[in-house]
Amino acid sequence: MNLSRRAFVAGSAAAFAAELFAADKNSNKPNPQLEKLADNALREAKRLKASYCDIRIIRYRDQNVGVRLSPERGTGKTLEVPSVNDVESFGFGVRVIVDGAWGFAASPVVTAEEIRRITGEAVTVAKASASIKLKPVVLAPVKAYRDRWTSPFEKNPFDVAVAEKLELLLDSGRQIKKNTQVFGSGGSLSSRSEDKYFASSEGSSIQQLIFQTFGQLQANAVDLASRKSKTRNYDPAPVSAGYEAVQKMNLGENALRIRDEVVEHLKAPPVKPGKYDLILMPSHLGLTIHESIGHSTELDRALGYEANYAGTSFLTTDKLGKFRVGSDLMNVYGDRTTPQGLSTVAYDDDGVKTGKFDIIKKGIFVGYQTIRDQAHLIGDKESRGCCYADSWASVPFQRMPNVSLAPGGNDDTLEGLISGVDNGILIEGRGSYSIDQQRYNFQFGGDAFYEIKGGKRRGMIAQVAYQSRTPDFWQTCDGIAGPSYWQLYGLFRDGKGEPGQVNAISHGCSPTRFRQINVITTD
Amino acid sequence: MMTRDQVKQLTEKVLKFSSFPECSVNVNEIEEAFVRFANNGVTTAGFTVDRTVRISSVRDGRTGTTSTTDLTDEALKAAVKRSEELAAVAPPNPERVDPLGLQKYADYENWDDKTANARSPVMTPHVKAIIDAALAKKLVAAGFFTRSAGAGGFANNTGNFGYQRQCDSRLTTTVRNADGSSSGWACQPSVRIGEISGADLGGRAIEKCTRWTKPEKLDPGKYTVVLEPTAVADIGTYLGFSFSARSAEEGRSFLSKKGGGTLVGDKMFPDHITLRSDPFDKRVPTSLWGQGGVPNTPINWVEKGVVKNLFYDRYWAMKAGKQPTAFPGLMTLEGGTGSVNDLIKATDRGLLVTRFWYVRTVNPQTVQLTGLTRDGLFLIEKGEVTRPVINLRFNESPVRMLQNVKLLGRVERAQGAESQMLCPPVQATDFTFSSISDAV
Repeated sequence: MNLSRRAFVAGSAAAFAAELFAADKNSNKPNPQLEKLADNALREAKRLKASYCDIRIIRYRDQNVGVRLSPERGTGKTLEVPSVNDVESFGFGVRVIVDGAWGFAASPVVTAEEIRRITGEAVTVAKASASIKLKPVVLAPVKAYRDRWTSPFEKNPFDVAVAEKLELLLDSGRQIKKNTQVFGSGGSLSSRSEDKYFASSEGSSIQQLIFQTFGQLQANAVDLASRKSKTRNYDPAPVSAGYEAVQKMNLGENALRIRDEVVEHLKAPPVKPGKYDLILMPSHLGLTIHESIGHSTELDRALGYEANYAGTSFLTTDKLGKFRVGSDLMNVYGDRTTPQGLSTVAYDDDGVKTGKFDIIKKGIFVGYQTIRDQAHLIGDKESRGCCYADSWASVPFQRMPNVSLAPGGNDDTLEGLISGVDNGILIEGRGSYSIDQQRYNFQFGGDAFYEIKGGKRRGMIAQVAYQSRTPDFWQTCDGIAGPSYWQLYGLFRDGKGEPGQVNAISHGCSPTRFRQINVITTD
Repeated sequence: MMTRDQVKQLTEKVLKFSSFPECSVNVNEIEEAFVRFANNGVTTAGFTVDRTVRISSVRDGRTGTTSTTDLTDEALKAAVKRSEELAAVAPPNPERVDPLGLQKYADYENWDDKTANARSPVMTPHVKAIIDAALAKKLVAAGFFTRSAGAGGFANNTGNFGYQRQCDSRLTTTVRNADGSSSGWACQPSVRIGEISGADLGGRAIEKCTRWTKPEKLDPGKYTVVLEPTAVADIGTYLGFSFSARSAEEGRSFLSKKGGGTLVGDKMFPDHITLRSDPFDKRVPTSLWGQGGVPNTPINWVEKGVVKNLFYDRYWAMKAGKQPTAFPGLMTLEGGTGSVNDLIKATDRGLLVTRFWYVRTVNPQTVQLTGLTRDGLFLIEKGEVTRPVINLRFNESPVRMLQNVKLLGRVERAQGAESQMLCPPVQATDFTFSSISDAV
């Protein structure tokens, strides 16, 4: 039995939302009902003397299917514990500029009357802020678009039976548990859809539909005698795609792999602290790129807008175009059009058409991530389309595009990188991660660590974390594998802002080598 | 804000729509007003309303859960139907427990109308006070003032029902000097917004910023530390997760005994360490129940250094023959009467830490954490703060930190970027710093 789309939209709000977001196959324009509703905000804002207004009407659906296999207390018998959640959220948020200051208000009641009332609330907020604004808000110019866009997908993940997803996860979990040294196993599959409409007083009307698909498996092993436990996960890249992404995850095959590797991890000897050459695989390096380069090149941080929470950046505006972040091999770009990227959309929450731009070129810092109300502060004429929010109830602000490291040459191979290492460590997957508030000093762990000796990859070691300083670290980069190794990894809970928001972003890269990095032994 | 009667009517309506033997419904409504500022001006401000009705249906041990933001009858009926359809396709949950019968929740509320109704006219004068004070000293202020008010409740079809209102507020600010070479921070959380003073808070952050000028490098290593309450909360908050009876029994916690069993009853900490939860402390928002509707009650986790209790969810409690307990959410570390200055005076050589940043678990088994000092790190010599110090990264466990605590000051509510506790400042020996951070 499947929870069909028809069943899901049976309720009035859901039915209303489904009708609102319904797409006419013969047109690439937004649903006229959305435009009519949004017009209530634009007209009310104009009546209340706002110089700018935009409204986002959004519906989210999140389905999470999971299993956990663990021993029953007392008997040791394996219990298979399922969880099935399918939730929705539907509402709207209105931004206005009045007397040069921003105001925002949001509500889950999507009616013409409530839209007018909430627009009034946003105006009230803006007027109060205007008395202690820094400078009047200046928006970089943007074209008016009337468009509808859907992220590419082959199979709607919500059309796939929940039972099929559970069976896939249970099969994997059981495979992992077949090794009697494994204590517990589990996995989950998550699907998200975001129906999103944006209209602004500058004439844009944009409807977008985005699908995202995530999956993961985990295994843990425990040695009661020594009071030690270890995990090994399989985290396939979360992507903007349909259920076809799950079929490419090879969960069954990877279940067998982590089943053996978790036991190896439990028995692996601890690393000896010291300097090592590191080869970081895409499943690990994605997060290092995110923390050290992704966040340090956000313009709002560099300008002090995040000073009270996430922090500022070592890449201050005087360093733009001059500062060497990494070696000549390092080319990093922002791209909200990367196929399957979690931050990929056609238009951002400022109504700006998205694109690709350089951030670091041959090791030199050349570009910030920007939005409409900050672009002019560094002399830019237009925004780079990095404005978005995590909900209809959240204020859109500068968030990260997909930030990726360009691959090396066609002849650069992983084997070549390894063969050039005498004493090193290859790191896969995510572990503990921490970085300072200006993105200098960081410490990263991983999910699995392999010793490299004399140019050969050997067995697993444990308790590894490396520490470095962002520019020092990237300047030791002396090898990046070629395009055939390039993979997109992603994060779906990146926090920033006050009130806090969490967003999903992808980072693409190939296996990359760093020389003589400080490694410590953790507990 | 939804009243008790409104929540009761709504939950009863949902339960009537149910056709399954078990149904439970949670209602949450929250309203938030906030002002964010940076570079000595307001950057964003807002007023938001959100609400969720979450429904779980169970039949033959199979559970399905869904939620909606629409309260109309048709939407609620559809949501119940969806949860039942999900339950129909889910396998039976072998860890399911019977629905909670009628519980007695405390007749208690920590509510403040002024907090719940505060909007920009109440909040912006405090922001202005901070900005004006910063401008007067040619400094740059950023910060955030937020207040929230919410109502929620839950009910199930075995007759249990609970309702509570919660409100809270928090003003925090970071003051930096114009060239970005110094930074100070302060935060004041309070259930009663009237207790918050922008002028006082701004003064504290400015004082930190002004004192932390031209910091000097100190080698990483083991130091005696005086941790201000926020720094204690920033790492102490992580202890809550470690009191799970399940992970302790399964060998995955610092409270697991070598060879099996738990360390309950063992004296792991000095006599002056008592760690507890008190949901009825007037300094924290109302919290009448924990996960699964279990009534929140005061619990001692560690008493005079001895591990006294573990957290039992309803399933694990049933298997272990114990009473279920609410999750150790906001914990209290008991303290003494002294101030931060008293602890400084009692320190021959050490580091004064304002707060920590980006704290993450390195090893969940030992609760080894890593993170960095931020917004004010100072050297203490012979009972006095002598000079500012460049930030350091630590690799340390709050378990070891508590084992090394020598002195405790007065308890206050402390809230960091990702933490919250009722705790005192502490003096602890042998705190491990592993590297230097250039960040300001």
